[in-house]
Amino acid sequence: MILRKSILRHIKEKKFQYFGVIVLLLISIMLFVSMSMAISTLDTRNQQFKESYHQEDFHFIVSESIHQDQLSTWEQNFEIDLEKRSYTDVDYKSEDTTLRVFSLTEDINKPYISEGDLPNKQGEIAVSPPFAKAHDISVGDTVEVNNQNLRVTGFMYLPDYIYILERVSDLVNDPKSFGLAITGEDTLTNLSSRSVSQVIGQGNSEEEVASFKDHVVDNYSLLRWMNADENPRIEFVESEIESSEAVITTLPLFILVLSVMMVLMILKRQLEMQRKEIGTLMALGYRKKELMRHYLSHAGVIGIIGSILGLLAGAGLSIPITNLYSEYYNLPSISYFDWDMMVLVIGFIVPNVVLLIMTYFVIRKPLKQSPLDLLSPKDVSKGKKSMLERLPFFKKGSFISRFRLRLLVRKKTRAVYIFIGVMFSTILLIFGFVTYNSMDDIVETTYKKIFTYDYGVYYNKLQQGDLEEGASPFTNAEIQVQQLNDKEDISIDQKVSIYGFEPGTDQIQLLNDEEHLLNDKAESGFVVSQPLASVLGLELGDELTIGNAYNDKTITKEVKGVANVYIGFSVYFQLNEVNSFLGYPEGVYTAKWTNVEPTESEQILYVENKKDAIENFESTSQLTRYSVMGIAGFAFLIGVIVLTLITNLIVEENSPSISLLKVMGYKDNEISKMVLNVFTPIVLFSYVVSVPIAYYSIDGMMTSLVEQTGFSLPVNLSWFMIVLGFVIIMVTYFVSLWISKRKLKNVSLQEALKKQQD
Amino acid sequence: MSIVLSNVNKIYQSGEVNVHALKEASIEIPNKKIVAILGPSGSGKSTLLNVIGGIDRHDSGSVQVDDHQLDKMKDKDLTEYRRHSLGFIFQQYNLIPTLTVEENVEVGRQLSQNPLDMKEILEKVGMWDKKDKFPHQLSGGEQQRVAIARALIKNPRVLLCDEPTGALDEETGKNILKLLQFVNETYGTTVCIITHNNGIGEMAHKVIRMKSGEITEHFYNEAPVDPEKVNWV
Ligand SMILES: Nc1ncnc2c1ncn2[C@@H]1O[C@H](COP(=O)(O)OP(=O)(O)OP(=O)(O)O)[C@@H](O)[C@H]1O
Ligand SMILES: [Mg+2]
Repeated sequence: MILRKSILRHIKEKKFQYFGVIVLLLISIMLFVSMSMAISTLDTRNQQFKESYHQEDFHFIVSESIHQDQLSTWEQNFEIDLEKRSYTDVDYKSEDTTLRVFSLTEDINKPYISEGDLPNKQGEIAVSPPFAKAHDISVGDTVEVNNQNLRVTGFMYLPDYIYILERVSDLVNDPKSFGLAITGEDTLTNLSSRSVSQVIGQGNSEEEVASFKDHVVDNYSLLRWMNADENPRIEFVESEIESSEAVITTLPLFILVLSVMMVLMILKRQLEMQRKEIGTLMALGYRKKELMRHYLSHAGVIGIIGSILGLLAGAGLSIPITNLYSEYYNLPSISYFDWDMMVLVIGFIVPNVVLLIMTYFVIRKPLKQSPLDLLSPKDVSKGKKSMLERLPFFKKGSFISRFRLRLLVRKKTRAVYIFIGVMFSTILLIFGFVTYNSMDDIVETTYKKIFTYDYGVYYNKLQQGDLEEGASPFTNAEIQVQQLNDKEDISIDQKVSIYGFEPGTDQIQLLNDEEHLLNDKAESGFVVSQPLASVLGLELGDELTIGNAYNDKTITKEVKGVANVYIGFSVYFQLNEVNSFLGYPEGVYTAKWTNVEPTESEQILYVENKKDAIENFESTSQLTRYSVMGIAGFAFLIGVIVLTLITNLIVEENSPSISLLKVMGYKDNEISKMVLNVFTPIVLFSYVVSVPIAYYSIDGMMTSLVEQTGFSLPVNLSWFMIVLGFVIIMVTYFVSLWISKRKLKNVSLQEALKKQQD
Repeated sequence: MSIVLSNVNKIYQSGEVNVHALKEASIEIPNKKIVAILGPSGSGKSTLLNVIGGIDRHDSGSVQVDDHQLDKMKDKDLTEYRRHSLGFIFQQYNLIPTLTVEENVEVGRQLSQNPLDMKEILEKVGMWDKKDKFPHQLSGGEQQRVAIARALIKNPRVLLCDEPTGALDEETGKNILKLLQFVNETYGTTVCIITHNNGIGEMAHKVIRMKSGEITEHFYNEAPVDPEKVNWV
């Protein structure tokens, strides 16, 4: 149909509007697709890695040595697969750096080789990529481990060490100080005589595994048993993927909805401008169906161009994002594109279908009118006064102020869109600020102001007696939260610890939001960390009952304070009572905080080096930081586009009045004040409303995420951020005004005359 | 195609005032003839044409087109009637701004089962050399000629022209009139021309005069003159 030609020309003529709308659609679809695809590819990588490389369902260590024949018997009796694996921890170059070397397995926890080959000769090993990167190791290098020279044949990933943690209780790992390697059994035996032997296994059902476990417990002295679902090295990635999915896909979805709304607004406007054309075609004898198809294809063209480009850009962008995440989670790059149907549906089909359906309803309206009505120059409805305009204050004031007020009232939807656009940008801007800032806040408050020690030294036996000058003893243990006030069924997925300490210490300064020292409160009640408080919804004065794993004792105490410790689920209480609660003798401790680097190596279980912890936290939080900033940046861009589109539209709609005003002798500046600046109060109002909304929604989101992440982000909104946000929003607004003002300048004087003639 | 109006009324309500745009209008538009509708501004000429053309509905009376009564037809049937039988030339030219001259004419051609030749029509209205221009690059008279070409190319049975020469000078105006006469003679097209220009009445087979919505006079011309000899006012 010849009319088709007019679609592209029309788009070309209104290129700014259509371009803006297409870019909007493109960006939002790109964001959504890239993020969702990255997440789903990541998920697939994880699943494939698990399945194809036979991730263990459990592993255990017993003190007896187990013979291969025994394994075969068990395999038959319990219908499970078992394999023996040995490992040893050796120093790499210095005492600070540990390399955990595993023996090669054949069936379970098979290593994935990402570069090079499996070690198959004596004196060969393969190492984990993060460790290799941290220590500048390439394939083919020779490394010295425990005074032996080993050749690196390749890089590998282990399915039961996806999230590499030295100890199960660690939160993060520094690849500089801990890494993994695999090697043949012979090399391993040569390397160290103190290797640990574990049995790794896969079972078909939980019952089989459980009954097998009972059997092992009854007949052997079990040192450790761990199922995959309690193994943080396996579980962490899964839960992390799940929780990121929520944040990472809802934000772009939000943006997508806004874009589709904008597209509709523009299309509606375009149709209104084409009334006459529609009327002409109807009078000429074009059928409604033909016209419907023609005008729908306007929406179709925008939708298709925007969504296809968005889809392509999103798919392309998903590769680096996936790799970034993959590296962070230590997942091998098994697959690239995971064409999740949902992503395609939401990113392509839904926007197009919604656009077409909504446009259908928009077009139906003029098509229902008679051709003559459409051909008549003025829309009758525009001549009507709205209710608001009948109000008395409309009759007062100068011509200019009445004109402005009328514009505002008549263009209610435009005002609403500006309001939403500003709100949207504000929320994301504040979101970006808060997240960015809170990462620093955590380090500043938790690690610097509250944890004043440099080293936390944990012993493997109870300690007694005096410590060096300045050091402070404490007892640390895992606890269960059993009851809160009258509520009994309380469960937290994460490990909760108690710290029995001497409130008079200098090594830890429990501060609350008002920066009051809470140490003394721990004499008579519990002081809890922020994550614990937000997961349980603790308030001052609540009665909390806790139990422990060593005996049946419980204590119930009042919550006397919430300290700004943002990492970990912890309860702080005085040392003596904690000791007696755990059944320890008086005056003992299991750990100490100190500023002196520990030298004695006996009896030390591990040392928590605060400097490393800060570095670790900062490196792991980078990813979240960049993701959030990226999304906030895009959202901001969208804000600019939306505001500019709307102000542009307003200029276009009012061009007859504008040219008339120009003919009458008004200056451009005066006209732009009348036509455009009316919306300034709306922008201000929206900002004022959006700041608290942003604050509370971010706060709510952080609370809902704390259980998965184990740290709560302090949501602190400073005046500086509020002012900075305001400045940025105003700059955006004025930039869009400036762009639209140029359009206003270009409105010709003849326009008025032309329209009169029509 | 014969068109017969009997006792047609059309009242516009605008606010509290009722405008009687057509008052008991009864008239016949004879088949294959040129009819001129004359009258001062606001006398109801366009309204009459719109009712005949099926883009406006009258309030009472009947409009008979061959065997069909327009007032009984559904919107859909009216569309088909316009599509297959009518050519419209609007008082405002109503070209599609995003299409070129040729494409605008094509918009009309596509609706027809026996369209005329594009080049021939564009040459007749003197727009062949400007066929690739857009409406905003044309003068008012040129736009009018494109609108005429768009209606003519359909080779309709009835051509309804609202002020086809209003914006044209005498020479081009007369060329258009010659064209309309040519179409009438060659294809037997019924042509209705609304005009302020009393002179144009001299070339019509039948003249209808209107005033304040009423048909005040109608008569047949014994000897219609050649458009060339029309007294241009
Ligand atoms: N949509 C409308 N609403 C109200 N009144 C209308 C409408 N359309 C036409 N009228 C009125 O009906 C009367 C007849 O109008 P019409 O357009 O038929 O006049 P006309 O003879 O074509 O005049 P002109 O030569 O100026 O084109 C006029 O008084 C006009 O004001
Ligand atoms: Mg008229």
